[in-house]
Amino acid sequence: MKNTDGTGIPGKTGKNKKTRKNPLQSFYNQFKSIQTSILFTCSVLILFAIVIVVAVSLRYTQDEVYENAVSYTERLLSQLNTDVDSYIEYMENISDMVSENADVQNYFFNDSLSDEEREDAKTRIQMQFDTILQSRTDIYNIGVIDSRENVLINGDDTELNPNVDVTQEDWYQNAVAHPEEFSISSSHVQNAVKDCYKWVITLSSVVSSKADPQETAVVFIDLNYSSISRLCEDNSTGSGGYVYIMDADGGMIYHPQQQLLYGGLKTEHTSELLENEGTYTILSEDDGSRLYIWCASEKTGWVVVSVAQTSELFRNSRQTQFIYCMTAVVLLVIALLISNVVSRQITKPVQALRDSMEQVQQGHLEGNQVAVEGNNEISSLSNSFNLMSRRIESLVAQNRNEQEEKRKMELRALQSQINPHFLYNTLDSIIWMAESKKTDEVVIMTSAFARLMRQNIGNDDELISIGQEMMAIENYLTIQQMRYKDKLEFRLDMAADIRNERIIKLVLQPLVENAIYHGLKYKETRGMLTVKGYRAVDDIFIEIADDGVGMDEETLSHIFEAHKVNYQSNGVGVYNVQKRLQLYYGPDYGLTYQSRTGEGTCVTVKIPITRVDE
Amino acid sequence: MRMRIKKNLRTIMMAAAAVAAVLIVALYYSYAFGGADEKSYYLIYIPKVLDEDNDFWSTLLEGAQMAAEEHHATLEILAPDSETDYEQQRQYIEEAIAKKPDAILVSPSSYTENIETLEKVKENGIRLVFIDSVVSEEVQDLTVATDNVNMGEQLGAYVCQFLDENSQIAIVAHVEGSSTAIEREEGIRAGLGEYESRIVETVFSGSEYSVAYEQTCALIEKYPDLTRIIGTNEYSAVGAARAIRDLGLQDQITFVGIDSSLEMIQLMEEGIFQGFIIQKSFNMGYLGVENTIALLNGSVKEGTNLDSGSKLITREELYTEENQKLLFPF
Repeated sequence: MKNTDGTGIPGKTGKNKKTRKNPLQSFYNQFKSIQTSILFTCSVLILFAIVIVVAVSLRYTQDEVYENAVSYTERLLSQLNTDVDSYIEYMENISDMVSENADVQNYFFNDSLSDEEREDAKTRIQMQFDTILQSRTDIYNIGVIDSRENVLINGDDTELNPNVDVTQEDWYQNAVAHPEEFSISSSHVQNAVKDCYKWVITLSSVVSSKADPQETAVVFIDLNYSSISRLCEDNSTGSGGYVYIMDADGGMIYHPQQQLLYGGLKTEHTSELLENEGTYTILSEDDGSRLYIWCASEKTGWVVVSVAQTSELFRNSRQTQFIYCMTAVVLLVIALLISNVVSRQITKPVQALRDSMEQVQQGHLEGNQVAVEGNNEISSLSNSFNLMSRRIESLVAQNRNEQEEKRKMELRALQSQINPHFLYNTLDSIIWMAESKKTDEVVIMTSAFARLMRQNIGNDDELISIGQEMMAIENYLTIQQMRYKDKLEFRLDMAADIRNERIIKLVLQPLVENAIYHGLKYKETRGMLTVKGYRAVDDIFIEIADDGVGMDEETLSHIFEAHKVNYQSNGVGVYNVQKRLQLYYGPDYGLTYQSRTGEGTCVTVKIPITRVDE
Repeated sequence: MRMRIKKNLRTIMMAAAAVAAVLIVALYYSYAFGGADEKSYYLIYIPKVLDEDNDFWSTLLEGAQMAAEEHHATLEILAPDSETDYEQQRQYIEEAIAKKPDAILVSPSSYTENIETLEKVKENGIRLVFIDSVVSEEVQDLTVATDNVNMGEQLGAYVCQFLDENSQIAIVAHVEGSSTAIEREEGIRAGLGEYESRIVETVFSGSEYSVAYEQTCALIEKYPDLTRIIGTNEYSAVGAARAIRDLGLQDQITFVGIDSSLEMIQLMEEGIFQGFIIQKSFNMGYLGVENTIALLNGSVKEGTNLDSGSKLITREELYTEENQKLLFPF
């Protein structure tokens, strides 16, 4: 194939160079072959479709996963919130129970009680506390305390920490500041109770005297973490996820890794979550993004936060995604293979047609029939092409035959032209001798003439061996020497290896004749005629040289022209011989003249070594 | 011919595209499903002592265990009964080597003993990590400890405000020859600066409450004008504090210590302690295990020395939220 772009149309190559400036177009030019175009277009379309389908599917599953996770976790968290709320509510009930206790009222606010009555009230209160503590292991401390440091804690004689001022404790101050409601502290160390130092959440409320509302005491319940942490642990959201609870200000109530948080090794995005108005968000951290879902309790203001690693969340959906992608790839490969096969099927006959056309274009008509398959547009195109190329082939053959025929005819015509010319000349010589009464010479001449005739005319073959032609020349020169006794001398010098080579008839004789009649005849002194034959490479050269009058430039330049034909002047020979040589051997062969006025003429015959088939 | 090459090229390109697609999917697969599986390591930790009453060691172990749990590592604890018992610690180290763990974490009881045994750990191709203390030779791959010199300096600088040129200072140190005792004393002396000359004596309690108690009583008897005492660990500090309390000298002697416990907090509430400096023992345990795993994974270089941090707590700031978190274990 000549063309790199594979179009088979040479003219387009130049155009390509021009359009190369536009990169998009030059990219497109690479797909000029129909097969690649089809393949490329199909591939792009299929890829596009598959990518969209897969993307939509993946997006859908991703959304699904998020929605599922969020809705599931939200349910979980609201359940957890309810649990925590009801737990706190339960504790509030206990607190109320203590506040409503008449003994508490009496013990703290009734100054008129006797010591004995006070002691009884204290015992009853302590019994109540004892009962509560025994039934609820998640309560560390329960107690009532007033500003005068009258204290009742737990079921025994538990004392306050003598080194701590209870009224300065946050939970105490909060309760006093908001007497109408329950105060819930964030997690802290309870240092008010002697030898306790437990991490607790303190629920505190104010109980006021029924007689004088200005007189108040504070009821507090210290809650052990374990109940809340148990609630959270039960509702953990699977591997990598956890639940924590913070209060409305971001203070940590419960966190499974509280130690890490307090040691500064871990931080939570508490403020970011509190500022966020939604119910879930995804925050990216150093070790991957996490899904935060939260739910605030209306009762306590606490926010329950669920944290899950998104990578864990998607772990299950990855399987689905993988199957989607795998299917997409398999589909793509199959589609590509099919489109490849289809495009090849479509373009194969076109390519065959193109290849065949190219061959025809280069002149190889034979054996370039296109195999026709099926019954479609391409096959009818192929049929037409086949018919056309066959027709061209036969026309070409016909044309060639006609040319050959014409050449032969011409050759024959020229041949027949030269025959009578030769005959006339010879007979002229014989007549001349007979007139001169030279009987002996006439006999010799006539017999030589007879031999010549036998050779030249009596033989229908176009070709004659150079040796035979040489003999004919010798015979002819013998006759001529008799006629121009004093004027003519000749020498024949034919190389031995060309004697058996063949040459068309009556080539040398007319040239020799011309040399005598136009060269030597007009010479004052004795003339010399040399015929010399030799071989050079694949050609045979025969030189016929005379030292006669020669020709001027003008004559020389018109020597091959046909109008010189004139039987009287015997000028017919050159044109005829040249014409015949070229008709027979081709334009590369024929005669060349060299001549100079007064010095002589040399004509060279150039013919190829005869090939058997030509 | 050329066409055939072109066709082959196309086939090859298509095959390459298909292979590339499959590879991408495979990579995606390995990214999605692999990676998350961290290698599970087997670690053995040999602390100085396991004592439920000692917050320092129990908190440290809690931290270590939390880190191990978080990184799915198996952590085995082999703890001697006494902080001075380096003989038992040596036996445990040898026992640990026989178990062929990925790494052994040690808090060496002695600065000079057991070095040969510790070298054996390395010879067996096991990583060696020091927690809290080191030994005189640099045999470990990783150290996670409080910067004891820095801690001593902070304490020394804090004590300076209670000093004048007539003050007499005594140091009740813990185990003689242990790296922590040496470094803390060095730090205290540096922190005291010009008052360093006021140190009258350093005694070593061997991390026994009773020894510290008796030594303190003897010191007070020996130096009746003694005004400042510094205890360099929980045992020494508590022992000395009990002596001060029992002798009723809390108004005469300003007492500071290192480490904390419930008893120390109560003693501070009573006014025996003016301040103490605590190590972040939970962090130490947690960082110790976490960085050991990082060392095994190759993300932490050998020879790294990590400071787990310390915090000075004064009587006035005992119950700030931040200090509560550091002082009281859950």
